Amino acid sequence: MSNRLLTIVLLVGLGYTTLALAPRLTAWRLPGDQQGYEPVQPIAFSHRVHAGDLQMACLYCHSGAERSRRAGIPPANVCMNCHKFVTAPPGAVRAEDERAQQEKRKPRRVVSPELAKLYAALALDDRGERDPARMPTPVAWMKVHNLPDFAYFDHRSHVRAGVMCQTCHGPVETMERVRQVATLSMGWCVNCHRTSTAQGVAGRPVNASTDCVTCHY
Amino acid sequence: MANDTAPRYWRNLDERDAGQGGPCGTDEFIEPVLPDLFPRRGFLKAAGFGLAALAAGCTRAPVEKAIPFLVNPEEITPGRSLYYASTCAGCSAACGLLVKSRDGRPIKLEGNPQHPLSRGGLCAVGQASVLELYDNRRLAAPQRRGQNAPWAEIDTEIVARLGEVRRRGQRVRVLTGSVVSPTLQAAIGRFLSSFDDARHVVYDALSSAAILEAHERTHHVRVLPHYRFDRADVIVGVQADFLGTWIAPVEFTRGWRDGRSLDGTPPRCSYHVQAESILTVTGSKADRRYRIAPSQTGLLLRHLARHIADRTGVALPIGDLPPAPVADSELADLATRLHATRGRSLVVCGNQSLDDEVVTNLINHALGNYDAGATIDLVGRPSKQKQGSDRELRHLLDEMEEGAVGALFVLGANPVGDLPRFHAFADLARKVPLTVGLASSPDETSQVCTYVCPDHHPLESWADAEPVDGIVSICQPVLEPLGDTRSALESLAVWTGTPQSAYELVREYWERVVFPRAAASEPFETFWDRAVEQGVITLPTAARALPTVDLAVLNRIAPLAPAGTRAINELTLVLYPTVTMLDGRHANNPWLHELPDPISKVTWDNYASLSPATATRLGLGEGKVVRLEAAVGGAGKAAMELSVYVQPGQHDDVVAVAMGYGRLGTERFARVGPQWIDAQPATEGDGPVGVSVAPFLELTEGTMRYTTRVVTIAAAGRTRPLAATQRHHAITASPRLGLAATVARPIVRETTVAALAAEGASRDRSGHEPIRPDLWPDDHPYAHRWGLVIDLNACTGCSACVIACQAENNIPVVGRDEVRRAREMHWMRIDRYFSDTGDGSVDVVHQPMLCQHCAHAPCETVCPVLATVHSAEGLNEQVYNRCVGTRYCANNCPYKVRRFNWFTYRHDDVRANLVLNPDVTVRSRGVMEKCSLCVQRVQEAKAEARRLGEPLRDGDITTACEQSCPARAIVFGDLADASSRATKLAAGGRHFRVLEELNVRPGVGYLSVVRHRPAQGDDKRHG
Repeated sequence: MSNRLLTIVLLVGLGYTTLALAPRLTAWRLPGDQQGYEPVQPIAFSHRVHAGDLQMACLYCHSGAERSRRAGIPPANVCMNCHKFVTAPPGAVRAEDERAQQEKRKPRRVVSPELAKLYAALALDDRGERDPARMPTPVAWMKVHNLPDFAYFDHRSHVRAGVMCQTCHGPVETMERVRQVATLSMGWCVNCHRTSTAQGVAGRPVNASTDCVTCHY
Repeated sequence: MANDTAPRYWRNLDERDAGQGGPCGTDEFIEPVLPDLFPRRGFLKAAGFGLAALAAGCTRAPVEKAIPFLVNPEEITPGRSLYYASTCAGCSAACGLLVKSRDGRPIKLEGNPQHPLSRGGLCAVGQASVLELYDNRRLAAPQRRGQNAPWAEIDTEIVARLGEVRRRGQRVRVLTGSVVSPTLQAAIGRFLSSFDDARHVVYDALSSAAILEAHERTHHVRVLPHYRFDRADVIVGVQADFLGTWIAPVEFTRGWRDGRSLDGTPPRCSYHVQAESILTVTGSKADRRYRIAPSQTGLLLRHLARHIADRTGVALPIGDLPPAPVADSELADLATRLHATRGRSLVVCGNQSLDDEVVTNLINHALGNYDAGATIDLVGRPSKQKQGSDRELRHLLDEMEEGAVGALFVLGANPVGDLPRFHAFADLARKVPLTVGLASSPDETSQVCTYVCPDHHPLESWADAEPVDGIVSICQPVLEPLGDTRSALESLAVWTGTPQSAYELVREYWERVVFPRAAASEPFETFWDRAVEQGVITLPTAARALPTVDLAVLNRIAPLAPAGTRAINELTLVLYPTVTMLDGRHANNPWLHELPDPISKVTWDNYASLSPATATRLGLGEGKVVRLEAAVGGAGKAAMELSVYVQPGQHDDVVAVAMGYGRLGTERFARVGPQWIDAQPATEGDGPVGVSVAPFLELTEGTMRYTTRVVTIAAAGRTRPLAATQRHHAITASPRLGLAATVARPIVRETTVAALAAEGASRDRSGHEPIRPDLWPDDHPYAHRWGLVIDLNACTGCSACVIACQAENNIPVVGRDEVRRAREMHWMRIDRYFSDTGDGSVDVVHQPMLCQHCAHAPCETVCPVLATVHSAEGLNEQVYNRCVGTRYCANNCPYKVRRFNWFTYRHDDVRANLVLNPDVTVRSRGVMEKCSLCVQRVQEAKAEARRLGEPLRDGDITTACEQSCPARAIVFGDLADASSRATKLAAGGRHFRVLEELNVRPGVGYLSVVRHRPAQGDDKRHG
């Protein structure tokens, strides 16, 4: 009796599982794999403009990559090194200049809507001065490259060894919005460690350990 | 040392009595095997369906946000730790700290190696105090009669009422514990100076007042001397647990260890005699230990004084004495040793009897121990650690009784909780018109105070400390205050009428007082920056002459009371501090409650400790609840009910109970740990943890006495088992194997100084020859082979390492009930082995036991999912994300060091989670874990060395346990590097590995215990 009941339960369970899984099988990926993740950021910061067109070094903003396990998202004061003066794309500024010339007036300060968000975060007013009435609020960026909590990646060792940022992060200098290119799965990490140990990185021999405690502790 | 002369070790009385043949074991698994309620196949089927349903319900990982600073503080790089030098405020010892701060929050406290007293060590209490910073029970705002009120209102009211007090000329009293901060001392002085009749009363819950009073009598200075154990070659401790709880245990442990550095040049091994009523950490390390009743302390000291007088020729007038509690020949031998090492010997007494302390002083005087450069520093750099005066306290109580006190400020003390109830401090406090408490957490005293003005946590505030004259340290804030609290310095300044920030006050004091004392050629700015950076400055002291000693004082001490007769159920009550609770000020700290006592291994409770003979005589066994009763305060009666614990090595006339328990606020621990279907509350009737012993304290002859009460003991007719870890994780052979009589498993080794000297450098490997045949080829040469060497001779069992490991590795608190089920999670335990000495006392060996990182690890071969594997650097790795929780590895581990997460332990207190180390994974349910040899520290050091392009040097990596060890008993190093300290120690004659016959090739080695054994006629000094 109980055997028959169990068989029925098993069959029903199997059927349910198949039905539930069938639509997902086409896009099968391992749990936690977020390849292609491209979240909308609070400020539409363009890596294509900064790292691509303007050729800024990655480490200018992500300076932690050299000396810490975390590369870090630049604090707003780093943005302000340039954006204190650069408040809008050159085209918009030029257009305003031309318009001002035509209308025989002084050009107005042009602020792009995205940079306005940065200034708002820093509680700056229209003239770029600190507005004491407003509260500075840090920018909550969406984290794109997420590792699970049990994996520890050390940027400093990789940068020191000469691994290009693009090896893991993909061609960020071409991306308007950052997208996760690699799977960031363990197999992907280990493969690179193996080939690096065999072939070296940037022409230099390295010892990329594949011990578990290299990343997991 | 051959095996046949090895002492027979046991961990508890059952093991001792189980067999006379050889070392024997208790059962490896103390948990009962589950009945077959749920068939395995059925379980697997259900689990299969569960998994399928889970896969169907899978969703994407949760969205995470990265929120950078708006304006980055210059020194902060996310992911990098900063270390700030500061001072520990856990007790009045004021050890040096390095506060590890990550992203603006302190996550771990470490000892400051530059501090001349603590020299890098930090005790369990100090390590654990970082958790108190994030305690959500701390007061977040000032209170008026229990209700929150704004600071401005409270200040106005206090100032107005103080004005009234001033007008009426009433007395103002500030009651504090010992104040080691000179700035705070000055602030109190300034505050009190505006009143006509004002006084600062200092008392210590763990008082050393008798020592100060005794020096006033003998040397005419009321001073606590600075004991220099590092200079002592013969140490006699009488009722003084100087390695555990007495005055400054971290400093004393380091000094004591310096005197026993067998690997130093030249090697030293001091001779240490301890006479005590209960078995303390200090007694457990003594070469010779005498069990004496508290009432025999004076007698022993007087006999010793007479022997010393005979040898030194200093006339110590001591009258007729009854026979000594220990053999006269032994005392004579001890006196000879003391005499032979005049100036390098040290006798300390901590039983709070003024007369006994006077005798002790005179013994030390006769031995020349007060001389310049000798072991007791009375005039050069005296201690400022325990300045309490029980006489003053008594006086204050009388004043309050009379209703003469107009305002009382209580700061850094909890008199209602500490003092005997019959003094009714709470009632007396109500007679005072204005009572202000400055406690940072609600306690017994703050409940009776009109105003509570919460102080910052020491990590939130500027302060300073001068524990020993001329050694001044800075205490600096490492984060913004978490609540609306205010530094006591600032509060006092406001009430004085000169509001100033704590920073200004400390800096100003240093500029005005400390800087001129330093006689430095640099400007003050540089001096101050240096002080803040290093945390501590040593000031020169002026040479002062030693006061003359008045030997006639001996004539004034009372003759010994004749030993009275006792009823059969009467015992002397010994109240003692434990290394975890001390006086109870850290009773809010769950880490400390769960730390097994170094001697009894009991957690989460205090208990009535009886000697085995007394327990047998009274028919009491472990866990039986007894009622202790005593007549106190005239007609009053005090009583408490506690479980019995049977403690070998304790005196037969004594019942011992730990202080510091039964504190207000510990009721919240009733539900600590996972609340599953079979969970039992951690405390009785959801009351506080343990029982308060305050009613039994005695304030007589001007000193607080802890060992004078006589209590009647009676069975209460019920049983409450204790949560003791001593039976857990046995690594002796299981009796089920039937090997006990034939196979000796030498787990700890000890030798004598004489034997070691005779052995010389030759390595004794008898019985420890490794078995050569190997299943695995040695095909992986190690780039590094990380390992530890632990010196059992230095280890005092103080358990600082256990808490350091807990803080470093995010080890959860599991609660009393889970500890009883042998599910404590500490990666490091300290096994404690007894062996009989033949005179009713015991020898003790403490053995820190942690993952041995075996080269041929038995755990690795049985893991079905390769969740535990070996690294190329000799580490036995545990991979949490692979582990499926079969627990095969734990079963196969010969050392029983693996811990299983039976539950997802609580991490729901958002504030307490701030203490978590971001470099270590927080493990979840169903995962095995164990010591990783602090691999996160190894990886950090390696990455740093790589970044800087420098080679890794020996000593660059310290594990958390090694860093905190006050005795420097633990050395981490690369065993593949022939020049590392660890390799050198491992090559020494004392080195052995535990269970070496198993051929698992551990990476952790031990150095054997070395004792002086007078019977074998060794000399006083080795080498």
